[in-house]
Parts: sequence; structure tokens; C-alpha cells
Amino acid sequence: MVIVKRKDLSLAERLWLPEIGRALSMTLRAIFKPKVTRQYPEEPLPTTAVTRGQPRLRILEDGENLACVSCGLCEAACPAYAITIDGHETERFIEREPEAFEIDMLRCILCGFCEEACPKDAIFMSNELELADFTRAALVYDIDKLKRPTAALTGRMDYFYKVTNRWRNSSSTS
Amino acid sequence: MATKTFEYAPGPNLAALNDDPLHGEIMQLSMGPQHPATHGVLRLEVELDGETIRRLEPEVGFLHRGKEKTCESLGWAKFFPHTDRLDYVQPLMNNIGYALALEKLAGIEVPQRGQEIRVLLMEISRIAAHLIYLGTTAIDLGAVSMFFNTFKEREKIYEILDAYTGHRMNNTYVRIGGVFADVDEELEAHLRSFLEGFRGEVDTFEKFLTGNRIWYDRNRDVGTITKDEALAWALTGPNLRGSGVEHDLRKAQPYSGYEDYEFEVPVGTVGDCYDRYLVRVEEMRQSTAIALQALERLKASRGGEVLAEDRRYVLPPKAKVHTSMEELIFQFKIVTDLSLPRGEAYQGIESSKGELGFFVVSDGTSRPVRCHIRAPGLYNVQAIPLVAEGRLFSDMVAIIGSLDFVMGEVDR
Ligand code: SF4
Ligand code: SF4
Repeated sequence: MVIVKRKDLSLAERLWLPEIGRALSMTLRAIFKPKVTRQYPEEPLPTTAVTRGQPRLRILEDGENLACVSCGLCEAACPAYAITIDGHETERFIEREPEAFEIDMLRCILCGFCEEACPKDAIFMSNELELADFTRAALVYDIDKLKRPTAALTGRMDYFYKVTNRWRNSSSTS
Repeated sequence: MATKTFEYAPGPNLAALNDDPLHGEIMQLSMGPQHPATHGVLRLEVELDGETIRRLEPEVGFLHRGKEKTCESLGWAKFFPHTDRLDYVQPLMNNIGYALALEKLAGIEVPQRGQEIRVLLMEISRIAAHLIYLGTTAIDLGAVSMFFNTFKEREKIYEILDAYTGHRMNNTYVRIGGVFADVDEELEAHLRSFLEGFRGEVDTFEKFLTGNRIWYDRNRDVGTITKDEALAWALTGPNLRGSGVEHDLRKAQPYSGYEDYEFEVPVGTVGDCYDRYLVRVEEMRQSTAIALQALERLKASRGGEVLAEDRRYVLPPKAKVHTSMEELIFQFKIVTDLSLPRGEAYQGIESSKGELGFFVVSDGTSRPVRCHIRAPGLYNVQAIPLVAEGRLFSDMVAIIGSLDFVMGEVDR
């Protein structure tokens, strides 16, 4: 336990003038200190692989199909009920894909739970941060607006794999 | 040169009131919910007699979002992002408090390194929250440059958190059983340099304020809460310690391994706004020391696990989910139906505002039966009339600032 020291004001502190002089000198010195304000729209925010921007769907290496198999796990994991999925069957080797995949960006809180839940590496938090539009409807993103080539998401994927590589010492799977 | 101090007796100065030409004319004033000095959407119904507060009634609930009910409908794990939004100046602290309650209920052991990271996160969150207190209270009392200085420091913390969690606020990086990501060396170095520089900054803050005549006059002997009153009104945290009660949950009921850290609990003597300010400033120093100790420990435990290996509650490694059927089943099970054993648990942590407690009751399913949040801010709001009645109206700004609450948490 430490008892905080309540000190009484000294005479110099009681007089107003020295304080005013000190304040002015501090203001003057601040002029020459480096500026810390960020000029935001002109100077964009730096983003890294850690940045959790808006979730985006990954297109497989073949360049056309989504990695998503519409299993619905991300929908179940989403705390904001932002995701709506409608799946259907296909003739491909992976027999399912989403027919409709919508993320309501107005609801999304960028928590990253969908990314964590997805068993197929189909959804990742991109580094896209800016989100503005004129109507609400335009902010409900469909597949066309959500899909991104794998190359755009590799940085995040690598980071994500590194982070979730847990229990390195354990060998059993159950 | 004249050095006359403006003085008035604490409590209603009736003799002075009788001389006041406006005395006897009661004015009803509704302050807030949109008022910069109420630190959020708090409404204060004030009855004024001249400049003196006759009666004061705080009205809360303008930011009520039904968090407790939301928890009951969302389920255990999905509530984490919502805890961020309780006391939004220290999201990680709320995350950890909630996670600790769930871990207590389920009996999960957090690995050593996970605990150390949690302590580190809690302490820098505390510093960030106290910086907000200092900045906003100072700007309310007229020290505008103080606000910029504290926010400059806070910005550094947020940049570190951004580099660690990917978000500046609302981090959601704590999971049941530990934390989501490990702290790497680069971040450790960044944190260390910040913390070492921060010590000097706290001294600068004190140089700005402690001996400043305006700050001194407006805080000294204003809003005095005695020891007994503080206990009777269930105040916790710096407000209780400012009144001279040595009670800190980190010492009294250690969690996350706080018993292994060396730190002092700052305690005031009088219990006025000035004491609460001094206690918080000292707490920032202590937090810096704890965070540095945690960094030291992290150096030793590098390579350790940060999340408990428990396949009932913790998502399996992603790479294994692709290759093992078992792990895939666990993945599905945990995401869709994470259920905690039957029972109830309460865990209180020492947040920057006081005792932040989570009381959770489970009936063994994936939805909580009850999740109660003991928000320290609510108790702090309740203490406003206690100290503001009978004082000058302008003192109320200092009192509100020094009691330090965040409406997101008060209203939940
Ligand atoms: S969890 Fe992944 S695979 Fe399943 S629906 Fe969501 S994005 Fe598609
Ligand atoms: S980031 Fe969170 S809120 Fe947004 S879609 Fe994913 S799970 Fe839902």
C-alpha cells in the first residue's frame, strides 16, 4: 500500500504569473515537437496482415469457383447475424457451393468469428476498411462484391495459419 | 501581490446563501443526456438554489442495449464482441473478465503464457482507460492541452493494440481458455519502448496538473466521500481507494496470476476528487510496472501455448481441421453448440473503474440461463448525489469527472 502524497501549493504555484509563463513556454515548445496528427483521408491508414477489415470470400486457385461449400458455420458463428447463405449442389468434385451469400455490412462488426469458424478457408478478413455508400441496400454485399482472388488474401491466410497453429506439442487428435 | 484564495465552506453555506439575492428561487435544470460534461448519455435532474445544488437525481438507461439478455440469446462464445462494447475504453479488460467467469464455470486452466498476456493486456487497458479519465476530466475543468497530451499517449497504446489485434477498439481477442494470438518479439519490443517512455509521460502529466492552481482549487476538498460512505455505497476501484480503503481485487482475490506480480495499491487519505486523481495517476505508474514485469515473464515463456488445449471449448488448430475428421467434428460442435456445464460462477476483476463482475448461470446447454454484469460505473453514478448535493453547480463537473464511469457499461 502506498499512500498518495497530497502536497500543498508552493508560493510560486499560488501566484498566477509563473504558471502562466510556464504554460506559454510549454505551448511554444509544442510548436517544435513532431506532429502526431494523422491526415486521415489524404494519408490512408496503414494496413497489415493483422488488420481485421471486412470479411471477403476467397476464390479458389482455378480462378472462378468460390472455396465456400455453404456449410453454414460462419452463419452460425456470426454474433451479429450478418451472414445469410443459400447453398446448392454442383457437378464439380466439391459438390456444394453457395447460390447466394450475403453479408450485411451494416450489421457486421468485423469480429472475425466467421474466419475462425470456416472449415474450408473460404472467408477471410481482408484489409479493406472503408465502408460508405448512399443507400442501405447497397451495403448488403452479395457474392459479386465479396469475392476476391486468393492472391489478395494470402497475407492474411499466412498470418491466420501462424496464429491458429496451437497445441504444437500435442500429437493426438482427440 | 495579492494571493487571496477563493474559499467557501464545504457543504451548504447557509450564511452565504442568505445574502444571495437569488436565494429561495428554485430552478429545475435538466443536464444531459447530450451534455459534454456528463461523459456519455447521462441525464442529471438538478434543483438549483442560486448556484447551489439542492437536489440531484441521475437518470441512467439512455444507452441500454439489453446486453445481459443478448448474452442469454446469443450463447456463450458469441457474447465476446458484446463485452467489448460495455466499457468501450477498455475492451480487452471486459473480454478477460467474461472469459474468466466462463473458465471458472467450466473449470478450464489457462496456460501460463496465456495468463501473462492477459495481465499485460489488462494493464495496458487500464492505462488507456485512466488516460481517458485524465484527459476528459482535465478538459472539463479547462485544461485543454492536457487532453491532447493524454490522447497522444493513448493513441500509442491503440497503435500497439492495432498491431496485435487488428483493431484499435473492440478488439475481441480473448477466447475461452486464453487469448487468440501470441505476442511476438516485435510487439514486445514496441510495448517495452512505449512503457519505458510512458513513465516520464506520467511525470509530465503530474507536472501539468498536480501543482496547478486551477486544478488544485477545483478538486481539492470537492466531492469528499468518507471511508464509511464509500463502503456503504458499494464503491470499488480508485473511488474506494481514494477514500482510504485498501481494497484491490488483484490483491484480495488474485486472478490470472496477479499474486506473482509485485505492485503497490495506491490509497488516498481524504477521499476528495484530488485524492482520486492522485490514486489514478499512481495506478498508471503501478500498471506500467506490472506490464513491464509481464513482458519480462513473456520473454521467459516464449514458445509456450496461449490457449488451453480443451476440445470441448477451444477451436482446434486450423491446419488439423482440414486433415482430420475428428477435428472437423470438434470445429462444428464448438461453433454451433458450445455448452458449459451446469452451475453458476461469479468472477470479479479489478477494472479501471472498480470491480467488474460477471455472474453466469448455466443449465448445461449452449445458452446461458443468466448473465449478470456487475458494472462498477453504475455504483459510481449513484454516488453523484451523495457528494454533489449542497455544493456549487460547477463542482459537479469535477465530481462527475473524478468518479469516472462509462455509460456503455452503466446502462449495458
Ligand atoms: S463457414 Fe466457410 S465454407 Fe462454410 S458457409 Fe461459411 S464461408 Fe462457406
Ligand atoms: S466478421 Fe463477425 S460480424 Fe462480420 S460477418 Fe464475420 S462473424 Fe459476422
